[in-house]
Amino acid sequence: MEILRSIYEVAWFILLIAAGVAALVGYLYTHFRYYDRGWFAGVALAGYPVLALAGLRAAGLQLPSAAAWLFFASALIYVFFRYAVKGRHTVPYLLLAPAFVGLALLLVYPFVFEVYLSFHDLKLTTIMGWKNTGYLPFVGLEQYVKVFTTSPLSEVSFWALLGRTLLWTFSNVFFHVVGGFALALLLNNAIRFKGAYRTLLVIPWAMPQVVAVLAMRGEFHSQNGFVNIFINKLLAVFPFLASLGVAPVQWLSDYPLLTCTIINVWLGIPFMMVVILGGLQSISSSYYDAADIDGASYLQKLRFITLPLIKPVLMPAVTLGTVWTFNNINVIYLVTGQSGGTEQADILVSALYKAAFTYNRYSYSAAFAIVVFALLFFISVTYLHGFDAAKEER
Amino acid sequence: MASVQFKGIVKKFKDNLVLNGVDVDIKDHEFVVIVGPSGCGKTTLLRMLAGLEEITDGEISIDGLRVNELHPSKRQIAMVFQDYALYPHMTVEENMSFALRLRKTDKAEIAARVDEAASILQLKKFLKRMPKQLSGGQRQRVAIGRAIVRKPKVFLFDEPLSNLDAKLREEMRVEIAKLYQRLNATIIYVTHDQVEAMTLAGRIVIMNHGIVQQVGSPIEVYRKPANLFVAGFIGSPTMNFLHGRLSLEGETLFFSNGDIKLSIPPYLLSDAKKHDGREVAVGVRPDDVLVGRDGEKCSDKVEGVLEVCELLGHRENLYIKVGETRLQATVEAFFDRSPGSAVQLCFNYRNMHVFDKATERRISE
Repeated sequence: MEILRSIYEVAWFILLIAAGVAALVGYLYTHFRYYDRGWFAGVALAGYPVLALAGLRAAGLQLPSAAAWLFFASALIYVFFRYAVKGRHTVPYLLLAPAFVGLALLLVYPFVFEVYLSFHDLKLTTIMGWKNTGYLPFVGLEQYVKVFTTSPLSEVSFWALLGRTLLWTFSNVFFHVVGGFALALLLNNAIRFKGAYRTLLVIPWAMPQVVAVLAMRGEFHSQNGFVNIFINKLLAVFPFLASLGVAPVQWLSDYPLLTCTIINVWLGIPFMMVVILGGLQSISSSYYDAADIDGASYLQKLRFITLPLIKPVLMPAVTLGTVWTFNNINVIYLVTGQSGGTEQADILVSALYKAAFTYNRYSYSAAFAIVVFALLFFISVTYLHGFDAAKEER
Repeated sequence: MASVQFKGIVKKFKDNLVLNGVDVDIKDHEFVVIVGPSGCGKTTLLRMLAGLEEITDGEISIDGLRVNELHPSKRQIAMVFQDYALYPHMTVEENMSFALRLRKTDKAEIAARVDEAASILQLKKFLKRMPKQLSGGQRQRVAIGRAIVRKPKVFLFDEPLSNLDAKLREEMRVEIAKLYQRLNATIIYVTHDQVEAMTLAGRIVIMNHGIVQQVGSPIEVYRKPANLFVAGFIGSPTMNFLHGRLSLEGETLFFSNGDIKLSIPPYLLSDAKKHDGREVAVGVRPDDVLVGRDGEKCSDKVEGVLEVCELLGHRENLYIKVGETRLQATVEAFFDRSPGSAVQLCFNYRNMHVFDKATERRISE
């Protein structure tokens, strides 16, 4: 009977969402239909907040200030449609409405709330007061100042984290692109069992990251991991390697960032390989024929034909890869972050996660997240700008 | 400039025989057009000469030098591709100078050569543009310019006009003819369009199924097609073929296919006795089907029914049915007869061809 109950609950939830979307579309519809009638202003500014409040109450929410917020939102919408839209583009707005509701719930609301948090002081000592009275002390820019002056964790500073993050991002993306490019070039040749190789190479990417990372973490274990066992066997066969400084290491405790980088490079190469392979296969073979006749060597063809022609697919992939690597909490947290973990491998986002959910500094983390967001935004815009410039060039 | 020899060229893609023993000699300064239907192996032959395809068997030599194993860039050839293959990220100038820059040619020399080629092809205005910003005809000119700049021994054109619209194709055809007069180079030109072949070529190589069907000057292959394929491929509109049997009645040889009976004069087929009972195909071009008029050295009159008229302006295509045999004739405009009316026609013996049905080879004089 449990399963029936779940089905019933899911169905109820879907019905609720449908009702919400229908209400919004109905709301927009009447706005477009009657926005210029005399009686409409009153209904829009008073009627809808009352209706919405009734709906919220029915859904079990007790929000004393909701009425004011709803009135405010309603007034904004009214003014927008009355003076900006003026009844034009009815159908496009109605068609966009459901998607817009989804975006508003999933992106806009959390982002606005995060900005709100970052100017207040929510932490372990104020959270109960906030829950009971709804009061949060306003602190202005203090959280932002703290981001740059105090450590998000116990010792490492923001600037050290930033430097480490940039190093981590750059080295990862670099090896992703180089490795992916090399493998794509190999796979682009007419070789036997190409499909099998391609499948094998894509596996790290197709696996759930958590599983892949935890499995690799095991391989870096100092006694039982494959890497150290392999080094030991190698030393047994070639003893002279020891004199070159080759020896088993405590990967996870002595070189945590290096270990994370190796794991993440392994994880990220397939994506770049697939993207670059797609780019390579879209290059018409007649360019290579022409270059052959023009007398270009393999490296010259690579430099003058292949690289410029895969740039349009490479640039967005590198931008994405940069953002993903910059934001990659999975690898760092899963390899080093559990209890008793080291801080040596932390990058901005993993430190952010720990600050919020290990040290319970919510407002501080909100400010921290906004700073990280600003950084990423800047990086992406720069990349895309460069990409546009490259596109203009041709 | 240089001569080119193909000796017993064979090309196999796995078990698929694409070229089966091609022998062609191309002389210095010659404009040779290789023509044939899609899939006849003409482009493969050109790509093998360029060094872009492996040679399964046989020998290709340029200027007497065997080039089978030579890298494309060492063969001193230049190729113009069907899709132009202009490097999209380089300007016209960079495209044209790419080969020279790779060879580390002196900068002044590069500039001079690019300038010369650009002025021949009227590309000077476009040197700084990207290929994307050019029209199809201009791109084609850049592709030709890229070939000229290298001063190759042999120019290879791979269906260079097939991506252009009909009007532009005519203009470019004239351009290429003028270019040949100016460069006086050895040019090997591949096309499936027999009009291009007829108008441009000094000599035509007609290919089908990986075999050279006939090599000759345009007028030779038009007047004296070696076999049924060449006869049907060259000439527009296509030649009429009457399939039937020869028989000897008294001293005269007659052709008959049930609907049409023609006497075959001795200057067309000598030694009449030898051909008695032979299965043949008689070919007559639409121009040599004379409708409603007489001519010298013409066959007896045949009665037919006009099915369709197509007025082209100066000429008119007539589709005529004689019994169950369909014939096409071209006459001066205006023929002024309505479809369904009876017409009298005869065939011009001087341009009639007789082909053996079994070997498909031409047996008439």
